[in-house]
Amino acid sequence: MKNYEIFEHTADIGLRVKGKDLKELFKSAGLAIFEISSRKQFTKNKNHINLIVRQNADNLDELFINWLNELLSLSSAKGVIFHGIKINKFENNSLEAQVVGSDMNNYKVNMEIKAATYHGLKIIQDENGYIAEVVLDV
Amino acid sequence: MTSSPVLEKIDDYRWSIPRSYNPGMRVPGIIYADEKLLKDIRQDKALEQVANVAFLPGIVNASLGMPDIHWGYGFPIGGVAATDPENGGVISPGGVGFDINCGVRLLKTNLDYQDVKSRLKELVYALFSDIPSGVGSKGDIKVGVKEEKEILIKGAKWAVSKGYGTEDDLECTEEFGAMSGADPDAVSERAYDRGKAQSGTLGSGNHFLEVQVIDQLYNRDICDELNLNLGQITIMIHSGSRGLGFQVCEDYTRSMVHCLSKYNINLPDRQLACAPVNSVEGQAYLGAMKCAANYAWANRQCLMHLTRKVFEKIFGGSWQKLGMFLIYDVAHNIAKIEKHNIGGVEKTLCVHRKGATRAIPAGHSALPQRYKKIGQPVIIPGDMGRNSYLLVGEEGAAETFFSCCHGAGRLKSRTAAAKTINENTLLRELESQGIIVKASGRGTIVEEAPQAYKNVNDVVDVVHNAGIAKRVCRMRPLGVIKG
Repeated sequence: MKNYEIFEHTADIGLRVKGKDLKELFKSAGLAIFEISSRKQFTKNKNHINLIVRQNADNLDELFINWLNELLSLSSAKGVIFHGIKINKFENNSLEAQVVGSDMNNYKVNMEIKAATYHGLKIIQDENGYIAEVVLDV
Repeated sequence: MTSSPVLEKIDDYRWSIPRSYNPGMRVPGIIYADEKLLKDIRQDKALEQVANVAFLPGIVNASLGMPDIHWGYGFPIGGVAATDPENGGVISPGGVGFDINCGVRLLKTNLDYQDVKSRLKELVYALFSDIPSGVGSKGDIKVGVKEEKEILIKGAKWAVSKGYGTEDDLECTEEFGAMSGADPDAVSERAYDRGKAQSGTLGSGNHFLEVQVIDQLYNRDICDELNLNLGQITIMIHSGSRGLGFQVCEDYTRSMVHCLSKYNINLPDRQLACAPVNSVEGQAYLGAMKCAANYAWANRQCLMHLTRKVFEKIFGGSWQKLGMFLIYDVAHNIAKIEKHNIGGVEKTLCVHRKGATRAIPAGHSALPQRYKKIGQPVIIPGDMGRNSYLLVGEEGAAETFFSCCHGAGRLKSRTAAAKTINENTLLRELESQGIIVKASGRGTIVEEAPQAYKNVNDVVDVVHNAGIAKRVCRMRPLGVIKG
């Protein structure tokens, strides 16, 4: 079962993600933004790119938005789609993750997500873990 | 969470959200709409967003919503707000959006419908093949780092200096194709990286290039002045600042979230993050935003150059012989420092237009000589199945800081459109109306289907009847290239 779903927003895309803890929530959200926008189709270029991403913020909301935007920005600057994420460290509103991406030309990209926004952002804890809702500008 | 605002009717085309709706509002909200459009507008959270914008420090007169208004993030799309820097007025990257200087240009030709009718498919396929579109598309117009900085300062002027157009094109572009005061040092390395190799590319989503035919004239005098006739072919190009602009917005939203506590600003939505126009942060954003705006003008100039080349290939002769002259190019996601008359006093304001087009009337000092008599051409694209419009600014637009709507405005979410519309059926329907569509992204066509948009004819009726901009002529689409 997918750990994310899309919710309605007139101009953009609403994304609802679940995770049993914050590490999993961030990982799921990071992978979801690429899953909803692209689909692997060819294997023109087998090279993978491995990167360490570090983010710091003043609070959890900010860390969440900065993390997603950093992934979108890196994806666009380097021309890759990220398909593997391992969060190595997650503490005090900072994180360090290892991310793996492959050449964008190996994918059919259906939409360009410009950025994740603070508008209507929610990160809630419940009995099963965490749920986040975020509006993505497309 | 507060309930949806109750609107007070001012007249048939103006509605107010009183300050009493939320005590944090510094000014009321004003929505330009008729009863029919209001029904749709009430369906999402756009009205609440108009009220949220009214919280911005230094906001002048009112937070405005154009008739194509719909739910965005931070500002609504179709939102206009002017702030007074002398009175603590702020600038907000969220009031411009991620696609800085997303905008449209309209060019005319001396071809008519009969000339293109039998060659339409060939034309659309050639445009699709020669104009890079789609996510992350890269263009043939390659520039080095030094030259990229030059683009950020010179905008469309850079493209013209490279032979991708003429001085006349610049005169027919808002800000003459480049805003002064662009500061390339305020643009991050990442933004440069994201913008690299994207000059002369259309992009994706709602961006398009459309071959159109004029199907209705409303103002004979202005049409004569512009040399526009029924059955004449026009071309509309809708694109923006691509990855460079997205990154500038992202960089400055990230830093301005911290300005809220620094400058003691209280807002209901962090996506409205802002800083005083006259602060270090405000000035840095403005300098970077102008770079992205100039990049977008260079981009649309390059796209027009590529379009002219395709027409030369298909129809023979030079683009000048084909009469492919630019009517005008307008930005619809931008913040600008402009002079406005507020209660009889001239003030220098920071006008945010997020999904709104500048619309200045005849005689205005910012107009090029050729449009002093008729006013600024205002270009309103509709959806791919219905119409687009050419209007000109009117005196009445003084109350909107000379701003007008920017399109039809979305009605249905992309997901709802994708669920209910079948791509093949839609393409067949469009083809039966004589419209050929080519798109690079899977799903783009259904997301951008006519049913997903309000009827642009209703939207334009409101700005016309409210005296903001008057109708000049209407076009219908023949061939559409989507990203």
